[in-house]
Amino acid sequence: MSADLNFARLRSAGTATLRSRAGIPPTVLVSFLVILLVVLWSLFPSLFTGYSPVNGDTGSKLDAPSLQHWFGTDYLGRDQYARVVYGTASSVTSALVAVAIGLVVGSAIGLASGFRGGWLDATLGRFVDVLLAIPGFLLAVVIVSSLGFQTINAAIATGVSAVAVFARLMRAEVIRVRRSAFVEASYLEGGNRLQALLTHVLPNAYRSVLVLAVLQFGTSILVIASLAFLGYGDPPPSSDWGLLVASGKTYVTAPWLVYAPALVIVATVLSINRISRWLRNSK
Amino acid sequence: MTSGYGRFALARAGQAAVVVLLAYVLTFLVISVLPGDAITNSLRDPQSGLSEADIQRIVEFYGLDQPVLVQLALSLGRFLTGELGFSLQSNLPVSQIVGDALPSTLTLATMALAIAVVFAVAIAYGAHYAPPRWAGILRSIPSFFLSVPNFVIGLVLIELFAFRLHSFTTTDPNSATATLFAAVTLAIPVSAPLAEVLIASLDHESRQEYALVARSRGLAEAQLFARHLVKPSALPSVAMVALIVGELLGGSVITETIFGRDGIGTVVQKAVTGEDQPVLQAVVSLSAVVFVAVNLAADLLTPLLDPRVNVREAANA
Repeated sequence: MSADLNFARLRSAGTATLRSRAGIPPTVLVSFLVILLVVLWSLFPSLFTGYSPVNGDTGSKLDAPSLQHWFGTDYLGRDQYARVVYGTASSVTSALVAVAIGLVVGSAIGLASGFRGGWLDATLGRFVDVLLAIPGFLLAVVIVSSLGFQTINAAIATGVSAVAVFARLMRAEVIRVRRSAFVEASYLEGGNRLQALLTHVLPNAYRSVLVLAVLQFGTSILVIASLAFLGYGDPPPSSDWGLLVASGKTYVTAPWLVYAPALVIVATVLSINRISRWLRNSK
Repeated sequence: MTSGYGRFALARAGQAAVVVLLAYVLTFLVISVLPGDAITNSLRDPQSGLSEADIQRIVEFYGLDQPVLVQLALSLGRFLTGELGFSLQSNLPVSQIVGDALPSTLTLATMALAIAVVFAVAIAYGAHYAPPRWAGILRSIPSFFLSVPNFVIGLVLIELFAFRLHSFTTTDPNSATATLFAAVTLAIPVSAPLAEVLIASLDHESRQEYALVARSRGLAEAQLFARHLVKPSALPSVAMVALIVGELLGGSVITETIFGRDGIGTVVQKAVTGEDQPVLQAVVSLSAVVFVAVNLAADLLTPLLDPRVNVREAANA
């Protein structure tokens, strides 16, 4: 009986390996393609459009979408597609900065309070409670208004308002892992606390935090776009997605100026959310 | 049991009070310690039309010539007695500004909450009982709702219903129809997490044995839903009420700006552009008070609604 349980059979008993071979669902594939396009837009915008995002041809202002101008033109005759493509880098990097801040600071807080426990947990826990008590968007607005209206400050503000969520999750994961048999075993083998933390607790706790980071990336794009929409990001002629929507809404006769960047935001965030859900389920 | 609950309630209330105070301190520090001396800037602005005596009075009121910690103590002391200070832009008492804006936001938020609950229940019911093909689509709606920025929803609704169908005009933002559309804008992102939780707990509850028993007694699915499933499935969403209040408060900044309503959100937006510290401080700390109070109420209600929740365990959590 026990002889049947050879290595190959034991290996295939894991659901994770089985499921990852089941293939990627088509919607997830499309989502990855969308994200790939967005990444390429932000890295090499000039490959995707021959138009300038800053200089327009005043002879063709507020033109409807056509073969020359896919997303139409704005009130200065600038190609809206070029504006969206060139605005990608700033919109995406600021969301990355926000996630990085939330992930690093939040994880550190959660790790410390979950692993150390006691007074440190109590103190950090109160701090996280306070961060959670102020509605996230209001907190971001207050921070950005103190730091000054720039996209990078909007990113910092968004990151700080996400710290609490990461801290909560990391703490819960660490507490779950800390009591497992393999952590106790590492102490019995003579390992110290730092060793246990780095080689056993962290590798087993970080997965769901990473899934949250992907989800938070989408949320950050939305929050930063909202801050840019209110005018708390870089001023024109920069072309953050949120700012494009805000400046487009003045021209009632040219709704494509709103719809085109809005569609890009929705497609990006939808794709990120889909990927995050897929990662969570195939964990 | 009662004394256990009493002790639990007291401990939670104490915690809540501490969190509110710390939230006030944190907001104060973010507003005053970070670069930029907003109060003096806007006071010295020649357009503010303040006389030297007025400025002196304000500087003295906020203790601006003293260290930050003294200012904090002064400000916190006033907050505890319900004194919120004066706006630097209009010189009106902050409590009056907030009081004037509150009814509009309250109407909007209440309406949005009601719409969000209707949406969430409809989506969850559909996701559970519709034919599989439709149920799959309904299940992905929350994720779609979460991917659309609030301002896009608002602009699309205005474009469609105000400019094309002329259901309402943007020049009269307080009309019933305009308020309804503003509430829908605010409700959509709020309904998404609510629907997700409802779907998950509905799935869970309908697999329980009591549901099987009810079904075998010949109860129709709709009756089963209304009589047995709604109540236990709604419980987890009580814990989400605080989260939802936060969403409503944050979302009102954008929604009110788009629809041109004069509410708390607009007050925040004006305070940010005008560097009006006292107003910003008051609105943010008051929303923390609301958030914490709602959270506390939800925590205190849960053991009463669900006898399975152990008070002693909840107190330690």
